[in-house]
Amino acid sequence: MSNARPTPDDPTAKPPEVLLVDDDEVNLLLTAAALRERGFNITESNSGEQALQLLADWSPDVIVLDAMMPGLDGFATCQRLRTMHGYENVPVLMLTGLDDDASITRAYQAGATDFFVKANQWSLLAGRLQYLLRASRTRLELERSQARLARAQDLARMGSFDWRRAGPQGSGGTLLLSSQGLRVLGHGIGDPVTVRSILRQVKRSERASVMRLLQSVMLHSSVLATDVPVFLGDGRNRIIHVEAEPEFNEHGHGIGYTGIVQDVTDRRVAEDRIRHLANYDSLTGLPNRRHLVWRMERAIDHARRLGHPCAFLMIDLDRFKLINDTLGHAAGDELLMEVAQRLRACVRHSEQVMENSLEAVGSRAHRSLEAVGRLGGDEFIALLPEISDERDAQRVADRILEVMRAPVLVGGQECFVTASVGIAIFPRDGNSVADLMRNSDVAMFSVKSGGKDASALYSPQLAGRGREKLELESALHKAIERDELVLHYQPMVDVRSARMVGAEALMRWQRGNALVPPGDFIPLAEESGLIVPLSEWALREAARQARIWKNSFGFDDAISVNLPSRVFERGQLVDQLHRNALQYGIPHRMVRLEITETGLMKELQSVIPSLLQLKDINVDVAIDDFGTGYSSLAYLTTLPISELKIDRSFVRDLGVTPQSSGIVTAIIAVARSLNLRVIGEGVETLRQMEVLHRLGCSLMQGFLFSRPIPPDDLELWLQNTVLPRRAPWIGQAAELELGTLPVRAAGSRAY
Amino acid sequence: MLAMPDIPQSTPRPAATVLDEASLQRLRELDPQGTNRVVERVLRTFEGSLQRLLAQAAQATLTGDAESARHAAHTLKSSSASVGALALSRCCGEIETQLRTQPVAALHGLLDELQDEGQRVLRAVRDQLPD
Repeated sequence: MSNARPTPDDPTAKPPEVLLVDDDEVNLLLTAAALRERGFNITESNSGEQALQLLADWSPDVIVLDAMMPGLDGFATCQRLRTMHGYENVPVLMLTGLDDDASITRAYQAGATDFFVKANQWSLLAGRLQYLLRASRTRLELERSQARLARAQDLARMGSFDWRRAGPQGSGGTLLLSSQGLRVLGHGIGDPVTVRSILRQVKRSERASVMRLLQSVMLHSSVLATDVPVFLGDGRNRIIHVEAEPEFNEHGHGIGYTGIVQDVTDRRVAEDRIRHLANYDSLTGLPNRRHLVWRMERAIDHARRLGHPCAFLMIDLDRFKLINDTLGHAAGDELLMEVAQRLRACVRHSEQVMENSLEAVGSRAHRSLEAVGRLGGDEFIALLPEISDERDAQRVADRILEVMRAPVLVGGQECFVTASVGIAIFPRDGNSVADLMRNSDVAMFSVKSGGKDASALYSPQLAGRGREKLELESALHKAIERDELVLHYQPMVDVRSARMVGAEALMRWQRGNALVPPGDFIPLAEESGLIVPLSEWALREAARQARIWKNSFGFDDAISVNLPSRVFERGQLVDQLHRNALQYGIPHRMVRLEITETGLMKELQSVIPSLLQLKDINVDVAIDDFGTGYSSLAYLTTLPISELKIDRSFVRDLGVTPQSSGIVTAIIAVARSLNLRVIGEGVETLRQMEVLHRLGCSLMQGFLFSRPIPPDDLELWLQNTVLPRRAPWIGQAAELELGTLPVRAAGSRAY
Repeated sequence: MLAMPDIPQSTPRPAATVLDEASLQRLRELDPQGTNRVVERVLRTFEGSLQRLLAQAAQATLTGDAESARHAAHTLKSSSASVGALALSRCCGEIETQLRTQPVAALHGLLDELQDEGQRVLRAVRDQLPD
């Protein structure tokens, strides 16, 4: 007794659908029952006509036809259904009589898949049906897989080929290309294609090397994998990837190749694009840092092997930031593009590096490494892969400086940009890309600090100086935390009353035993951005000192603190002043701010909002070094400032050159008309004091009165010099006042 | 047991020898529990089919219609084998073969035997069926 399922390998599969056609009802019933018992789903039909009707809208997995039937017999039915769409390959089993050879032949002619001699051996019938179903499934899978392959190949623009070596006398061999393969090469199905005809499609310049490659591959029966540029019939240029493996006969002789051809043009274009994006600067189109480093490494390798020097030129634009800040980033970009063009013209700039030939010793291919690249910002680098000596590099540097000097039209405006160029030479100045880049940087910096618009060769002394600067910068970083900064104070006096009317705070750095003067670290602090925390510290310290003096001797004027314009631009300034005043319990006016005229004018628009806020909270602002910048008087009238400080250079020349007194007179007149206080700075002699006073300025500051001194010393100075009226300037000042009251009276304002 | 009054009785044989027991057993195995009443349905279908085809064969014998006779013989050959009517099946097979080369008139003996054996089988089948 059999309970075997037709698909024992997959119990979850649906039972196979069988259409059973027999005019004999008994046989139909029996066969159906027997097959159902064995797990088939049976649909019965008792005539060929009815069967064809059923098939119009239902497809069984297998059809069993009785050969002999009245009307449409099994053969005719089979013939008909084979012409129906979708039934070309459905398995059909024809039931024939025993020993009926004629029927068997007719069955096959009618398109039956197999025949079965009618008998009551149901297990045999079921087994036969299972076999047919399995074969049909396999066939279906094969067809699907072939269709998938064809589709996949189409999508991948890929096709296969098979090439058989020619016999001893033949030439070219036999080439078979799949229809997809033909399409890839621009041919239609049936086009005669030979190895020779395909070679003719290869780009002429590549043909010889492709032939050489093919010959070498075939000679060694090795694997073929290469990209070949070809023309298709319609004139399109494509890149075809060919990949093939050798085939061998039983004697181990290579008899041909099987493989694929694939149109990889799109991929190559995308790859090229990606490579370009990864290696080139998007703004200027020049090689970027990454690509330059790659070129430099190769240049160094080559130079090392061939024993010649190569040079790196670090190029940094002077004043680029200024242009970017004043004309905007778009203009800055425009400038960089123009600069890139000019720099490119200064070297034999090669876009493409011939990578393959780089390895060949003695070749000149390394010259294709020569290029200008952009490292970022306004920094460029020129790579000279082979020079005879440093003069070669210097000549290129000179050319660069020269082309940069021509005006650049940016945003409709002529700009002048110069460059600073630092040169490092392999192997003298370093053995690695990193060393050479650093040293060319050091050389470039030396140009910057030495006045710009020039070039310099690296030398170890430069590096020493650079290192010093670096150490200084890192030490300055820690100076605030370590409390190494101090404020010294230079008093301001009113010579009419011989009184102190305030003090200017000046920063000093107590570094170990040395007191570093501001000139040695303020520029560095400004350059590195440390000036911001330094200024914040100074404001707090000044507020603290004001409080101490208020307590110790009733100080009620202001301490002036110098601030760079960038601190004025910061929104936090007002908040900080509030905090300081609150913390130390002093009125806001006791800390006064000084900004240089140049700094103010440079950042005028961004500083004005701060100035207005400062006025609101009663913080006075003085303009330092007044007269050196080029302030428009129109601006001065609108600025919320309270004090002008006459630059020391005019004071120094007072009584020496007539122009200086003219300038000072003018400044005093301006101050008066704008109702501003005016102070003369740098007063060192009684004569200067006298002239200044005569011109109408009685507030002064300078060595004549006191150097900048520590806060405790300032108290001593007040006690020992001002109060006892023991300084020469005090007598003089008194005389100038011609009988006015003595400078001081005892009481609350005892200084 | 019902006898057909219009059909002459021939040599009576017990049903057991008319219908092969082994063949019947194979039929029963198609439906071991009998839930689908396969044996009964097959025998009823065969009964109808046999009646119809015997009539068709008789008619063909009278008119000399070889094709009709052959079809009847061919169909009965396999279905009678299925229910174990082996003698009938053999007789049908003989008729089918001979008809390929000879006219109906030459086969009267065989065709008569078909009718006789057919009647015996019909009775035996009816014996197997519940009333």
